[in-house]
Amino acid sequence: MAGFVLRRALTALVMLWVVGTIVFSVLFLVPGDPAELLLTSGGSTATQEAIHNLRVKMGLDRPVAAQYVTFVADTAKLDFGRSLIDDTPVSTTIAQRLPRTLELIFAAAVIALGTGIPAGTYAGLNAGGRFDRIVSGLNALLISVPGFVTGTLFIYFFAQFLGVLPAGGYVAFFQHPWMHLQMLILPAVTVALHLFSIIFRMTRASVLEMRSHDWVRTAVAKGLRRRLVVRRHVLRNALGPVVTVVGLQMGILLGSTVLVEFIYNWPGLSGYLVTAVEQRDYPTVRAVILTVAAIFIAINFVVEVIYSLLDPRIRLS
Amino acid sequence: MTHASGTSFPTTRRTVLVGIGAGLTALAMPRPSRAAAAKSLRYGLSTFPPSIKPWENTGAAANTVKLTMYRGLMGYDGKAKLVPEVAESIDWPDDKTAVFKLRANAVFHNGKPVTSKDVVYTFTQIQAPDSTAYLKNALTNIAKVEAVDDHTVKFSLHAPSAVFTQLLANYCAGIVWSGSAADNPIGCGPYKPKSQERGVHIDVEKFADFYEKGRPMCDTIRFIAYSDENLRYAALQTGDVDLIEYLPWAQFDAVSKSKALKMAATTGPFMLLLFNVAKKGPLQDPKVRQAIGYAIKREDVIDAAFAGHGTPLFGFPNPEGSPFKLDDAASKWTYDPDKAKAMLAKAGYASGFPCKLLATSTYGMHQDTASIVQAYLQMIGIQATLDLPDWASRVKAGKDGDYDIAVHGLGGYYNDPDSMWPLLHSGPSNYTRSFGFSSKTIDGLLEKGRTTTDEAKRQTIYEDLAKAYFEEVPQVPLNWRVQADALHDNVSGFMAFPGWLNSSSAYSLDDTDLG
Repeated sequence: MAGFVLRRALTALVMLWVVGTIVFSVLFLVPGDPAELLLTSGGSTATQEAIHNLRVKMGLDRPVAAQYVTFVADTAKLDFGRSLIDDTPVSTTIAQRLPRTLELIFAAAVIALGTGIPAGTYAGLNAGGRFDRIVSGLNALLISVPGFVTGTLFIYFFAQFLGVLPAGGYVAFFQHPWMHLQMLILPAVTVALHLFSIIFRMTRASVLEMRSHDWVRTAVAKGLRRRLVVRRHVLRNALGPVVTVVGLQMGILLGSTVLVEFIYNWPGLSGYLVTAVEQRDYPTVRAVILTVAAIFIAINFVVEVIYSLLDPRIRLS
Repeated sequence: MTHASGTSFPTTRRTVLVGIGAGLTALAMPRPSRAAAAKSLRYGLSTFPPSIKPWENTGAAANTVKLTMYRGLMGYDGKAKLVPEVAESIDWPDDKTAVFKLRANAVFHNGKPVTSKDVVYTFTQIQAPDSTAYLKNALTNIAKVEAVDDHTVKFSLHAPSAVFTQLLANYCAGIVWSGSAADNPIGCGPYKPKSQERGVHIDVEKFADFYEKGRPMCDTIRFIAYSDENLRYAALQTGDVDLIEYLPWAQFDAVSKSKALKMAATTGPFMLLLFNVAKKGPLQDPKVRQAIGYAIKREDVIDAAFAGHGTPLFGFPNPEGSPFKLDDAASKWTYDPDKAKAMLAKAGYASGFPCKLLATSTYGMHQDTASIVQAYLQMIGIQATLDLPDWASRVKAGKDGDYDIAVHGLGGYYNDPDSMWPLLHSGPSNYTRSFGFSSKTIDGLLEKGRTTTDEAKRQTIYEDLAKAYFEEVPQVPLNWRVQADALHDNVSGFMAFPGWLNSSSAYSLDDTDLG
């Protein structure tokens, strides 16, 4: 076990180094100068001298190789540097923003699991019924409508038309818990809709498959109550693939909630990354991507360990 | 096999309806921070300011916030009139010397009095060799700044300047306390910084010792960034904010008809075409550029990109509020496709030519303008291929001359033709000017206009400039665009400053009140 953990940790470090190097290189290949962008915001003009002076202050006048060495050395010390735009430590901002994206994803997952599994189970058990047909039809719609469309519609309906929820924005939970939750609802539901459609489909298909197995028939034949049959013999076996897919989706959502964050002004990590790319804020882009990559690697590592614990046939070699 | 038909999910129609109703009622009830305190103004910005440094120009949102915290020697009153600000008065002993008397009651946010020493410090920093100040170049005309006494400062200029006081009223000329740390410049504006959450909001609070007694009217201002223009408007409509900048053009009519909302609008920046004249080819010929000027129907650009809210611009962009009348009918490119074709043919391009039309996908108005321009160029035989990179790449392509024709939206910062200087005067390559364009005539007229203080003489100079602009075609202007802020009916005192002063409208936040 210790050998496995060590090997995996070393592999993870190599992968992070590769990711960091690729991101570092790509950023220098993409056109755009952060100093010029900052000083010419909003169509203003800046002198070449001012741009040069800012480049010197940002450290961008140094040779690329020297910048790379500094980047690797600093990253090894977990020092992600400071934003080129506002000079704040990048790690502080990530620490502030990552929990918000995680909160959004977590809330969406709770909503999607809480509705998708019961609905999928019911539809699977009553395949072809009215509920199944309606929800399956809606599901096709949900899976094909992008988040920014549903988001815009939600804002119009719940904020502008009904006036029951804020149009968007963010207030820290500790500052105003109730307002925070109100602002979380629409973005979380928007993210949850897509996740719901996946969970619903997977659960329904799994339940449909499980319910035709012999052991379910046996359980029914021996007079076990229906609720117990569903819970113990159908659902428990059907949820395996659902959990796997949800796990994967959570990882994907970490970097893909950007549109929802943008539409609802939810200041999470994805939005931060997009702004940083627009402004060519190199240290921020590198740090955010490395953070997301590290989380992915960590999730994979944990999953491998859990698999080996659950199923001794999978050897950690 | 019938399974689990008895598996009960007690979801009757009644329980669902009751649940939804209860949920919506619960959500609708307590929205305490919507109304907040009576005198807390919530201002919806179009973007979160990248940085708030007093002398750097980092965009309109940053400048708005800056004007609440920093003030310069000159400023604008609530009606956009140029007035002494931190200075009490200005005296010109001769046309190259300006003496400012500072307000005796002006103090910085740390309680220290504003003195001549701080003014000297401010302009020394702006002019320092490693300075990144926006006005560094424009203020090279200052030969010397000296403190005469604690409250008197003397500026000696290299040459007379007709716009010196306007430059000092710019939002990048705030006076900063001389003892400030580099990362914490302390100003003397009507509001002092309170807190900020990066990417979310910036809070400023009333500075009790502000030199204008009785101002500002509000106790706090919360600037909230809404990058999505539709969300910004939705936030205004739902009462999440009291005032927003950059009202989307598509919503102008809705606000005009609304009883709860009102609009503060002006004609602001203008849309235009820039050319790469360094590249050998047809666009080096001014006649070809003039032909393009005649080939585009401005009204279609305004309809497509600005929902009809703009004014065609056929010649030199003389902003609303300018003291000069520059309306020479002979120097206008009114829509005339036949004339355009004839001019192209005369220049040797009867069958047109291919070219690259640069705009950006980041801003819809640039992209839409480019599409219309492309269609009209096609009508006179010019086959333009659209290039729509993101904004950062667009800036680089503009600076490197990686285009033939480029769409842009620009403006000056005060209502005077001199404000066109950065867009027309020769200098190192810059994405806001036609690549490789340089004209001794235009440079000379701009320089003469700036150093001449007699209004009548300046009128003649700028008439000549407008003619030179028409003949040499450094740009092809397309249209003025209407720029509007939208506000709730209970917000008073806010004014959209006219023309190019629009970016300084935050001066009127001193008078903005809720009631």
